[in-house]
Amino acid sequence: MRLLALALRRLLWFVPTLLGLLVITFVISRVVPADPVALVAGETATPAQIEALRRDLGFDRPLPVQFVDYIARLARGDMGVSLFTRRPILDDLLQRLPATIELTVAAMVVSILIGIPLGVLSALWRNSAFDHALRILTVSGLAIAGFWLGIMLQLLFSMRLGWTPLNGRLPGYPPTHITGLYLVDAALTWDWATFGVALRHLALPAATLAFPALATLVRFTRAGVLDVMQSNFVLYERAMGLPRPLIVWKYILRSALTSTVTQIGLLLGILLAGAVVTEAVFDWPGIGTYAVSSIVLSDYNAIMGFTVWAGAIFIVVNLLVDLAQTLVDPRERAT
Amino acid sequence: MTHGRSRLAFVLVLLALAALVATPAVAQTRFVFANESPYDTLDPHAAFDVGRVAVRLNLYDGLYRWEDNPPKLEPWLAESHTVSPDGLTYTFKLRHGAKFHDGTEITAEDVRYSAERILAIKKGAASLLSTMIAPESTKAVDKYTVQFTLAKPAAIFLAVVPEIHVVNSALVKKHEKDGDWGQAWLTNNDAGSGSYQLTRYDPAIGFQARRFPDHFKGWGPKYIDEIDFRFVKEDNTRVLGMIKGDYQGTGGYLPNDQVKRLREAPNVKIVEQESMRIMMFQINNQRPPLNDMHVRRAISYAFDYDGFNKEILGGSVERNPVPIPNNMWGVPKDVKGYTYSLDKAKEELKQARARVDRPITVGYLQGFSQTEQAATVMANGLRKLGLETKMTSEVWPAMVERMKKPETSPDLVVYWISTYYADPNNWIGEMFNSKQWGTFKASSFYKNPKVDELLETALKTTDRAAREKAYQEAARIVVNEAAGVWIYNTKYFGPWAKNIEGIRFSPVGNGQEIRWLSYSK
Repeated sequence: MRLLALALRRLLWFVPTLLGLLVITFVISRVVPADPVALVAGETATPAQIEALRRDLGFDRPLPVQFVDYIARLARGDMGVSLFTRRPILDDLLQRLPATIELTVAAMVVSILIGIPLGVLSALWRNSAFDHALRILTVSGLAIAGFWLGIMLQLLFSMRLGWTPLNGRLPGYPPTHITGLYLVDAALTWDWATFGVALRHLALPAATLAFPALATLVRFTRAGVLDVMQSNFVLYERAMGLPRPLIVWKYILRSALTSTVTQIGLLLGILLAGAVVTEAVFDWPGIGTYAVSSIVLSDYNAIMGFTVWAGAIFIVVNLLVDLAQTLVDPRERAT
Repeated sequence: MTHGRSRLAFVLVLLALAALVATPAVAQTRFVFANESPYDTLDPHAAFDVGRVAVRLNLYDGLYRWEDNPPKLEPWLAESHTVSPDGLTYTFKLRHGAKFHDGTEITAEDVRYSAERILAIKKGAASLLSTMIAPESTKAVDKYTVQFTLAKPAAIFLAVVPEIHVVNSALVKKHEKDGDWGQAWLTNNDAGSGSYQLTRYDPAIGFQARRFPDHFKGWGPKYIDEIDFRFVKEDNTRVLGMIKGDYQGTGGYLPNDQVKRLREAPNVKIVEQESMRIMMFQINNQRPPLNDMHVRRAISYAFDYDGFNKEILGGSVERNPVPIPNNMWGVPKDVKGYTYSLDKAKEELKQARARVDRPITVGYLQGFSQTEQAATVMANGLRKLGLETKMTSEVWPAMVERMKKPETSPDLVVYWISTYYADPNNWIGEMFNSKQWGTFKASSFYKNPKVDELLETALKTTDRAAREKAYQEAARIVVNEAAGVWIYNTKYFGPWAKNIEGIRFSPVGNGQEIRWLSYSK
């Protein structure tokens, strides 16, 4: 009941927050000196030709008029078309979404499954050789540039060892389209050859993204566990003779995960908005590279469409994180 | 119960292992190209640039086509043409029996529709065509004859004709929506007649096409069955992919150190050709003190051409002293241009009436490290003359925006001008005709009535000898007045798989016309 109230309260803020975000993005993208109409008209066009095209496209109207028009269409579900390709923005985003989701989920699953246990262990064996070694690893994870790591992985696993392909999601035709997530689609249609190929293509980019995410989760989990280990209830449970693994993996972890869950939410949000650098190195056809090329070309509708997506993702993910917090920690429910 | 579960687990593990090992084989007659720009649209009338030329060359045909180096116009869909004596009417005779991918015959009506479509959607080649032909002035005289009527005589019309790619008018009209001339549909689909027919397209990845056996040019005994053009963003990934054998071709304008890496790969060969793409500094001729010819000459003497071309770029380019590529007709062969000489530069500064009492802004392009290197070499030279400089950089779209007006354009900007069409007008004509102010090629903001007259004459007459004289004369004046600093002409270093043969390189097209290629074994 409280949960529902919390969710509803948050969703009420969804529209004003998104609107504010859109206003800011709209103004900035229009104010930047690059002129997409000139780009569309082509480098060889004269100013007169460019102005003619501008009138055709409706970009000569006053900014508030253009903005209201955009919002009105958005409310009807129309994100407009790309200035350059005349393709609906929504179609472009939906086409690229599965690639980003697949990469994000793979990276997050790997970093959670490995990161959290490592964090717990390094807290338990605080200041041991294991803990120190892990600290080196996590600092590297946070410090190493993603593109450098990606290229190093390419050189080692693809060029030197030949275990994985260099880039892309698949070399040939994708499996029958059901969700757009190649692993899922291949599994559902029992196409195991394609499943294997897709998995190998996913390996390096997922690893590149997982490494820094893992580092963050290890550090936060470690700090959380260390903190909780001092609590009275832990002392009580040990005094009562409960088995150590039970104390650690059930009771301590549950309380220690508060800040880790927040981090997972943030990471999820960041990755779903597009892991630009990793996508660039591995030619992963996701939302990140779409966002960058829209910005460079000043494709107004594409920029706005991407912002709607990223903004909505962050708002929803934040809500889910807060809901998860209340589930994990009953004390949150009181507020 | 545990047996059942562990057996299931065992089977799953086996399946996963088998999946990891199985790889689909790559057909021998398959060709994969790694491109540095995305194929964001398949519409041949929406773009005009080198980055997406593979779509136009392979999926579509034009009336004529540029082939080889130096580029020659070859009859393609048209067998011949005639020009009326007043130079206003061009009549093309189409070949009979050429077919679109859907089997229908190509007629003059398709050509007329295609020309009108370009003018209507105002993208790509429209900027050039619309200065020469007006909407609704093109006529399909009969089934195989199409007639263009120019507003005034334009010698470059023929050079631009290859950009009128012929689309299947019936097919496109069927998919027209709200008067969009079928743009929303054609951006994702194929309405062409080219040597290859589209099989798959994903704007985030690229396109695939298979051979069109009924293409009017016919096929030899060996050819490529399937082509796959992909967007691969990073230079490094393209290079690694060539070395690994993932790709059989990629763009030929890589940095020098990457070309070296590829030369060392056993399965890659580098095809070297002089291309037509000049790198230069535009000088803002309107802004004091650069409106003084002697100051501009001093700047021209202050750039270390050999240091840049031979040392920084490792001799991979050719010095090009005039604003027309060395290998194009119209170059005055007697003009040697400027050399790096600080003494001569100081002499010119002494003769200048204007004082250079402020820093000179030198603009370069973000993401193009060569322009930054060139800007640094220039700043270095100017500093040796006692002149202060200020570097400024923008991404290309933002720089194009700045170069529209003399007030916002930097003092000096360095970039390239590629071959949009193979005619001297593509360079010197569009760079120094005062009517072109506001376009990115004319950011010299140069104004000389004599040069204007020469360039206009060269545009009007179709007499090649007269045009050549006019361009040579204009080049001499412009060089004498140091209207810009012209550095080099690009060389194309095309990486191709060693067992690919038949490559036909043209500066317009960069060898991406796959119908001539085959594997040598």
